[in-house]
Amino acid sequence: MRYIIFLLLSLHLFAFDASLKIETDVEHRSRIAVEDGSSVTNNTFFNMLLSDLKLSGHFLADAKHYKGEVTSNFISPALKSKEYVLKYALAQGSGTKLVARLFKASNGKEVFKKTYTIPSLSKAPFLAHKLVSDVNDVLKYPSISWINRYVVFARYTSAKQSEIILADYSFHYQKVIIRGGLNLFPKWADAKQQSFYYTSYAGVIPTLYKLNIYSGSKRKIASSEGMIVCSDVKRNGSKILVTMAPDAQADIYEMSASGGGKKRITSFNGIDVNGKYVDDENRIVFISNRLGYANVFKKSISGSGVSQVVYHGRNNNAVDAFGSKIVYSSRVSNKSFGNNTFNLYLTSSQSSGTRPLTTTGTNQFPHFSTDGSVIQYIKHRGNSSSIGYINLKSKQSLLFPLGGRKIQSLDW
Amino acid sequence: MKKIIVAAATCSLFLFTGCGQKAPELSGAGANNISDASAITGDAVSINENGYGNESGAKGNSSSDGFQSVYFNFGVYGISSGMENSIRKNVSVAGNTSGKIKIEGNCDEFGTDEYNYALGLKRAKAVKDALVSQGLNAGRVVIVSFGESNPVCSTASDSCYGKNRRVDLRLIK
Repeated sequence: MRYIIFLLLSLHLFAFDASLKIETDVEHRSRIAVEDGSSVTNNTFFNMLLSDLKLSGHFLADAKHYKGEVTSNFISPALKSKEYVLKYALAQGSGTKLVARLFKASNGKEVFKKTYTIPSLSKAPFLAHKLVSDVNDVLKYPSISWINRYVVFARYTSAKQSEIILADYSFHYQKVIIRGGLNLFPKWADAKQQSFYYTSYAGVIPTLYKLNIYSGSKRKIASSEGMIVCSDVKRNGSKILVTMAPDAQADIYEMSASGGGKKRITSFNGIDVNGKYVDDENRIVFISNRLGYANVFKKSISGSGVSQVVYHGRNNNAVDAFGSKIVYSSRVSNKSFGNNTFNLYLTSSQSSGTRPLTTTGTNQFPHFSTDGSVIQYIKHRGNSSSIGYINLKSKQSLLFPLGGRKIQSLDW
Repeated sequence: MKKIIVAAATCSLFLFTGCGQKAPELSGAGANNISDASAITGDAVSINENGYGNESGAKGNSSSDGFQSVYFNFGVYGISSGMENSIRKNVSVAGNTSGKIKIEGNCDEFGTDEYNYALGLKRAKAVKDALVSQGLNAGRVVIVSFGESNPVCSTASDSCYGKNRRVDLRLIK
């Protein structure tokens, strides 16, 4: 009997870490050099390729900006020690054209060749991301398709004024989608990123709209006195979690993607916000001040019981979830004003194991990538702000600088 | 004619796949943005809503129509005793006016995202409840939270932050 109890305890201990156990180093990273055959050197584009290769977690990229001929099969002896050489040429003509060829360094054998074209140089970042994503796939690494996704974000321009902007993940490409007015909380509505939800303050009360970014068609979903925010969208796009306050009380509701079938999920005489689907999407995690400060809780959509998820921190005011994985922002210092330290932590709905992801600065707005392997966040440190990425599998991280205007919210 | 169509289709295939190299198959969310040239070139719309918010008084960032702003301490949404005179004044102003009153909750810049908007909402609700308890018809009131989006002060000082933690009142015209 003693042995059975010991065995059960051991199994429990292993189960405790199971949900976080996938965060191990990728075993093998390919040593790769990038050779630029462009007639006009574009350092930004080269650096984007390097960043993409690094963040993938699958490559050890040589940072030297090699020059060569993309049409030539010749591999410089200096690069023979690499496993792969990626040759490319970016050219401007009637549009922007990228020619790319991947060679095995040891024998000069071509393993991949592709030409990409777009009409505008401003979208060149997407070419860099697509090329690295394709090279990654050709070499049979786990998909990094998240690198190709758009980011949509809102930023303040002045009091009661904001703009909603479309960007690539590195924020090199940016296009204003909605300029003027106060439009906030953009949230992708579908996996193909054709439409997003957002909150408009153009009327007397806040209104939730769904906008198709290609056709410009806009549809009213719901409105609410006080506030209304689309916090999360089911993976199949059929339902959404909305924070709204029809009775002047911020609670979390679930409704269909078109706004019908509204169902109240939380009911608390304080603050319940930021609902995110977790596990099999029949449960949510959310932020509530039911203990007197902002913290992370979870509950099933149909049941009434609420349980606490996080047991540390003075103010845990933002959360995101993917499957059973949960990432949240936690204030670890206690200044009333000024720069507090907010760090990101990874935990699980299945265990109490917690792992810190950041250690310095103010780290907020955490979001999982669509496959849950990468976390996006905003870092403020000193007077600078950056968009940050942490690859949970490879433990690679990257920061891209942001402009001075304050980001209100973002989605990836 | 049939041969021309077949030849054109073959050329198109090479153009999109790159000299006979088979493009990796794309699947799942996120791959669709630039899976082919048409997706890359498909341009997003750009909408201008600059007309909103420029009406007279809307950017004044403080109460209007004779109402007085109500201020709050850091992180709280209870009305302090020091603000009771402002509440009484606002009840009086409301009694001398007609039409709907908009109560706007605001926060300082230290919150984030949804939580700050909910905090602004609680402040607006606290002011509404205080006004209603002193006789204001609840049906005349609409409350809206502007979170940290509507600061009246942007310098890094405690007094400045305090000015932003407020509820503004104005008539809906």
